[in-house]
Order: sequence, then structure tokens, then C-alpha cells
Amino acid sequence: MAKSKSKAGAGKAPRKSGKGKAPTMAQQADRHRLYQLSVQMPDVEIEFFERVFKDLRGSKPKSLREDFCGTGYLSTAWVKSHRERTAVGVDIDPDPLAWGKQHNMEGLSAQARSRLTLHEADVLDGVGEPTQIACAMNFSFCVFKQREVLQRYFRTAHGKLTEDGLFILEIYGGTEAIIELEERRKCEGFTYVWEQELYNPIDHHTLCHIHFAFPDRSKLERAFTYDWRLWSIPELRELLLGAGFQSVTVYWETTDEDGEGTGEFEPTVKEENQESWLVYVVAAK
Amino acid sequence: MSNKKRGTKAATKQQRTLAEQADRHVYYERAVQDPKNDAKTLAKLFRRYRKVEPLVLREDFCGTATLATHWTKARADRSAIGVDLDRDTLAWGQVNNVEAAGGDVAARVNLIHGNVLDAGGPKADVTCALNFSYCCLKQRSSMLAYLKATRANLKKGGVFIADVLGGPDSMAAAEDTHDHGDFVYRWEQAFFDPLTHEMECHIHFDFPDGSSLAPAFSYEWRLWSMPELCDLLAEAGFSAVHRLWEKTDDAGEGTGVFFEPHRVENWDQWWTYVVAER
Repeated sequence: MAKSKSKAGAGKAPRKSGKGKAPTMAQQADRHRLYQLSVQMPDVEIEFFERVFKDLRGSKPKSLREDFCGTGYLSTAWVKSHRERTAVGVDIDPDPLAWGKQHNMEGLSAQARSRLTLHEADVLDGVGEPTQIACAMNFSFCVFKQREVLQRYFRTAHGKLTEDGLFILEIYGGTEAIIELEERRKCEGFTYVWEQELYNPIDHHTLCHIHFAFPDRSKLERAFTYDWRLWSIPELRELLLGAGFQSVTVYWETTDEDGEGTGEFEPTVKEENQESWLVYVVAAK
Repeated sequence: MSNKKRGTKAATKQQRTLAEQADRHVYYERAVQDPKNDAKTLAKLFRRYRKVEPLVLREDFCGTATLATHWTKARADRSAIGVDLDRDTLAWGQVNNVEAAGGDVAARVNLIHGNVLDAGGPKADVTCALNFSYCCLKQRSSMLAYLKATRANLKKGGVFIADVLGGPDSMAAAEDTHDHGDFVYRWEQAFFDPLTHEMECHIHFDFPDGSSLAPAFSYEWRLWSMPELCDLLAEAGFSAVHRLWEKTDDAGEGTGVFFEPHRVENWDQWWTYVVAER
């Protein structure tokens, strides 16, 4: 942001003195809204949850727990999707929670709102009622860098599921996930930038950022920063089984004839590594 | 007619291909191993953490035990134990390495046909598992059992040293060749599965007459990562774990000198050491 401002200033300063500078698009942007627009697809996720629950349990799930819920976008969509559905959102950061209450929950009917509870709490504390589905999306559990802490989180998640419960995690990987890299993706009205600033092969710590760039060349640098340990699928499987889950299934994105991702995920037991992949890991209680 | 046929057969027999005549262990040692240097490196790494000279080496997954032999040859007060499950390879090593080194050395090298998971035998100052051989243990519980057995077989103050392979290029299908003049060494990573980190690898030897030993050796591994090994070593009871990394020169080439950084950049492919103190 500072960089863009000084650039604009350098060209216009002599004539502009005194006159109010128009705020840049970055200055006017709301990072939570941009995050929801660029990263989240709650309807697609709900459809996937329903399908997985039907596959493994043969019924329709009613209750959801969204750990690391941020603005509670997914929880909001969940209670909206059916009049009997309930959701519990848990996040330790009051800022996105407050934003979510104002912007996401506002559009909910009083009845739907009564079926949604947001907790400002540590996911390790296991607050709230047991649910049929618990999820940790967008790799958020990677904040836990110690094996024993992640194990404790999985035990907590296991304990907060109903008897037929499923725990769904999202994780990324591939040969390009473990190097320094920057990726840009055009969204409507802005560009989403994913930066892997650091990846340390001796402890698998990674430092990543989300930046947003705008048509007026202004930028919201480091709108979000993540200091993670990038866990591998075998590590997650071992920890989930160690936490008491009965089975662990990996859902891999299917590809079309040209090798392009279809957005559909299927259970798999063997795959060839790719440059970049994103999977759902489903643990059944 | 029948005479002529026999004659042709006999002639063919004389023209055996180079691959048919090749002893795969000879080429393996030439292509993959550097036992003299490895013995030096192990002793150096031990002295970094213990200010005394290591005397007893245990070479797990020792194969032909060329490292155990060179370790013992280097000093009159050294001895070595080699452990491997493959009886034929051990027998080859006993004749071609251990006994070939002379009676004095052979008397100090003890090869055990057995499983590295079974504790027992003389205790060592240094136990090593090199060439990623421990990657044949695919289950976390087996790996943990192995590291516990290893720790139990170390003397007080002993260290365990393993090499670790990594980098994005080690997690994809790939082939690497190295021309040794009278043969070409070919390392093939046939498959890497991100769901399990299991990989299939092969070593092939190609000869100037067009013949090949392909594959000469095949491996079914789980590629263990550095943090996984560190977690496991701590769980097995080791008191300190050191993650080493090779220093590079200005041109980015490896110098053979290892240091202990907190953070490094990932390279396309690397191998390094992890050192665990009992």
C-alpha cells in the first residue's frame, strides 16, 4: 500500500498541493469481503459435505461445527441452506467474528440466526454442542506446528462429534507448495495474490501472504499472513487415527480429458504427485 | 545340421553381454558408495557432539558392509557391527569386503544376519542408517520401533546418524544418470504418492555394448521428511536431535561441510544428515 501511494504522489504532488487526494481502491477495500469473494465458496463446500455424509453415513447432516471460522461465512450459509440446520463457529480472533456478525449474519432471519452460534474461543477448548460435521477449512489447522498440539486438536474435534460424526479437513501440497512462489488470480474488480514467502524444508514451516491488487494499481499488501507448518497427508492420517477416528479417506479432485480440474472430488487411495493439489481429508468417528 | 546348431550356441555363449557378466554389487559400490569418506564424516559428526574418538560403529542395513569394513580399517582400535536381512548380500560382503581387508580387520567386523528392529549385539558409539535404507520401514509404528531399538543398542553417549532425502524433485517421477565411463548409473524415481509418501525407485546399470541391468536394485520406500524424523527421534527417547545442512560456496555448490541452521531455503533436491544423541 505504501509503495503505491508514494508512486502516485511522486507524479502529482506539485499540482495537487492542498487538494484532497482521492482514496485509493486499496484504502477503501474491506479485506474480509475480498477474502470471502476470492477464497471461499460456502455453497460448494456445503454440497461436498452433504455428498460425503451421504456416502459414509447414508443420511443428511443437520449440524455443523466450523473451526477457525473467521467471519463465519460457511456457518451462515449452512443455517441458511435448511431450516433445521444448526451451526457452531469457533475462532480465537474477535475481529473477523465481529465483521461476520455485522455483515454475514445481518441478512439472516431471526429464526436462522437462532440456529447459529459464534464463539470467540480456542478450538483446543472444545466449546459448543457436539455436531455431525466438524470442519477446518483453508488449511487453518496448520497454525499448530507441534505434533502433540495437532494431536490434541484432533482429539478435541473427535470428542465434539456426535456418534455418526465426520471431521473434514482441507490441505494443499505438491512440488510447488514447498518452494517460494507467487500466484495471481483475477477476480471481479481485483486480483488475488497468493505468496509463499518462505518454506523451510527442515521443519516444514511456511510463511504465506494474501495480497489484493486493484485496477488503480493500489495494493492491499499482506491483507492476511499465515505462519504455518505444512502438514502432509500421511502425517494427518496418522494423527487422525491416533486421535481415535475409525477411518480416514482422502478426496482428490478429478480431472477432465485435458487434465484440468473439474471441481469434483472423489475418494482415492493412490495418486501420482502433482505440482499443486488441494484435497479434503475426511475422518469418520 | 545339429553340429552347426551346437556350434552357434557355443559361440553365443562366449559372447555374453556385459550386463550378463556384471556383478551388481560391484557396480552399486562404485556408483553409490564412498565408504572411506562416509567413515570420516561419521567420526567427524560424532566428535562434534562428543569430544572423544568413536570406536564402535553399527551399520544398519549394511548390505555388503563396505562402510563397516572401511571404518574398521581406518584405526586399529576400531570395530564394527553390520546388520542386514539379506543373507546373499551379507555373504558377498563377507568375502569381497570383510575378508578381503585381511585377517586383522576381519576379526573386528561382525556381520549379523538379522532384522534391525531386533535389539541386541554389542553396543555402538555410532549407529548409522545410510542411503535412506530406513525408508523401507513404511509404518510410523515400525519406524518408531526401529529408532527405539537403535537407541537401546547405543552406548551411553552414543549417536545415531541417518541421511535424509528431500526437495520437490525427490517427490516426483524423475530420472538421473551419471556416466562412469565403463557403465552408466541410472537412478529412476518411478512413482511418488502424495497420499502416503510411498515411492518406487530403481537403480539401473547400462553398459557400452547396449546391455543393461535394469533394474539392478528396486526400492519401495516411504520418504520420511526431516520434521517427521525429528518428531520420531524425540518420541523414541533421544535427548537431542540435530538437523544438519550442507554449506554451499559462492557458486551454490555443496562444500561437504555441514552446519546446523534454523532455516534454509528448499532446494530442488537435497540430501543431508540428521544426528540424534542418545
